Amino acid sequence: MNFRHKFVFLLPGLLILIGILIFPIVFTVRLSLSSWDSFFPGLDFIGLDNYIRLFTDDKRFWESFFRLSFLSVTTVLLQYIIGFSLALIVWKDIIFQRFFRVLFLIPMMTTPVIMTVIWRTFFHESLGPVNDFFSLFGVTPLWLSDETLAKVTVIIVEVWQWTPFMFLLLLAGLLSLPKEPFLAAAIDGASPIRKFIYVTFPLMAPISIGAIIIRLIEASKIMDTVYVLTSGGPGTATETSSFYIFIKGLREFQMGYSAALSFTYLIIMIISLTIIAKLLVKLLINNN
Amino acid sequence: MAKIEFKNVGHSYDQTAKHPVYALKPFSLSWEDGGRYALLGPSGCGKTTMLNIISGLITPSEGNVFFNDQNITSVKTEQRNIAQVFQFPVIYNTMSVYDNLAFPLKCRKFSESHIRKKVNEVAEILNLSSVIDSGAKRLTADQKQLISLGRGLVREDVAAVLMDEPLTVIDPDLKFKLRRKLKEINSKYKTTLIYVTHDQNEAMTFAEKIIVMDSGQIVQRGSSKELFERPSTTFVAYFIGSPAMNIFNCSIANNELILGKFKLKIDKNPDQITSNDLKVGIRSEFIDLSDKPKENSIHVKIKSNEDFGNYKLLTCEFDNLEIKVKIKREQNVTSETTYLILSKNRLCLYEKEKLIN
Repeated sequence: MNFRHKFVFLLPGLLILIGILIFPIVFTVRLSLSSWDSFFPGLDFIGLDNYIRLFTDDKRFWESFFRLSFLSVTTVLLQYIIGFSLALIVWKDIIFQRFFRVLFLIPMMTTPVIMTVIWRTFFHESLGPVNDFFSLFGVTPLWLSDETLAKVTVIIVEVWQWTPFMFLLLLAGLLSLPKEPFLAAAIDGASPIRKFIYVTFPLMAPISIGAIIIRLIEASKIMDTVYVLTSGGPGTATETSSFYIFIKGLREFQMGYSAALSFTYLIIMIISLTIIAKLLVKLLINNN
Repeated sequence: MAKIEFKNVGHSYDQTAKHPVYALKPFSLSWEDGGRYALLGPSGCGKTTMLNIISGLITPSEGNVFFNDQNITSVKTEQRNIAQVFQFPVIYNTMSVYDNLAFPLKCRKFSESHIRKKVNEVAEILNLSSVIDSGAKRLTADQKQLISLGRGLVREDVAAVLMDEPLTVIDPDLKFKLRRKLKEINSKYKTTLIYVTHDQNEAMTFAEKIIVMDSGQIVQRGSSKELFERPSTTFVAYFIGSPAMNIFNCSIANNELILGKFKLKIDKNPDQITSNDLKVGIRSEFIDLSDKPKENSIHVKIKSNEDFGNYKLLTCEFDNLEIKVKIKREQNVTSETTYLILSKNRLCLYEKEKLIN
């Protein structure tokens, strides 16, 4: 068999791969080197102008990026803590165990956009039930129009929506752990806290890293929650990178520039997630 | 240290069933203080269930467990003063070897000086002193298993050290060394050691007393010699020894044992035999070859002659029955037939699968 035959068999797979993976990326890069917008659509060539604009003259993108970093790290951390706690609760034999396991998963089964609309109604500053409650104490927090509180609201909704996913991964992890280390710890006379610190947590470290990374990737794409809840406002207080790219691309139709934003964003995400994964491995596994 | 006693202990995992299936059928047994025991039996015979009842990981559905005449049936594992070594080494990955060994003492709030003294002493015995400050995670499987064992040994109040097939993951050469180490520890600390295994060689070389189990019950309890020479049931006869004991159906007539067309003398009083369900067994090691007929000899055809390096195994045939004979490697067998001498004091007679004494 010579090389040519091999390529005949590889070709269908390669074509599909090129079609669905390589082509969109290459096209985005090419698009980012053009000035395609609603006035002059077309693939002209303007060199690195879009990138120069992005790095020298677009504070709003970088602000949205750091906001995104803050929001995703905070929400994922909260999801991890709450998800782990819930998983630990239903891991042991408790009554109505099956009921609780399903109950905790309900938020994940709902449609994000619809649930966010419901949350927006909850947090509505004059009509929502949340402020009905707070008004009993004489305060009416501006959940959606205060810069800080709007971020808190986004975090609450995100945590509510995605903690079940974290819970599911961590519960699966807990259920797959070997029994012996726990028996050994019981025989050694370890208290529940010691058992958690020296047995449960170290054994769960690899699964925790996986779950955190998956959620970080997902959380950094946060879009629908922001879109429905605050539309990035007040001002740009809750505007994230993907929402900003959406505005540039699909509201202002600056296709070339938003392609440059997308590509830059992709590169930054690949680098930063790799670094985060490495750090987590070092922190949770090697440092063990 | 303590004497452990089982009084009518039995266990069924499904206690709600009308006719519970016993993983361990009710029985009574006692383990002497400082003894070295092996629980031997095939997978699923109830060995691990018995071990878990001692350690308190399972509360027996029937009967009571006593440590030094104190009923501890419903006492939790943590309060039982038991050490257990599992099949796969269990160590605290995040800790150093020292902290691993010190952990049970720290949990019991001993003073720092006592902990240091005890840990160093145990590390010395287990040859772990050179790695005492390194992370436990980086050690080899056998060193990790020693740490598991060491965590049991640092506690002076340990009633017994239970081991559930602890040498499975260890290389054969190290297995031998570790077994010797365990024996040393037993003689130094006088700790009761209970060792679960399905490997007869391991049980034979390690224990003073072997408890053979099958289908949830104890079938024989005795030394290696007793188990090998006088297995109390046909199960033990099959299970112990390699190859298994030769066992044949037989009958008794005129004070003689009828085996196929041969008549053999026995050292039993035939009057005590009442049933027709009779079997006779003889170890392949205890059969001698002869080129002419002698007392208690049978004439057989040699089917195969296999060389196992340290011995030869002959497979012979008579009356459509197969009998295996172990002979010395140097012994040459050239003829196609031979006489086998089944001396009467080596014959084990089984009535309804149980040895007639």
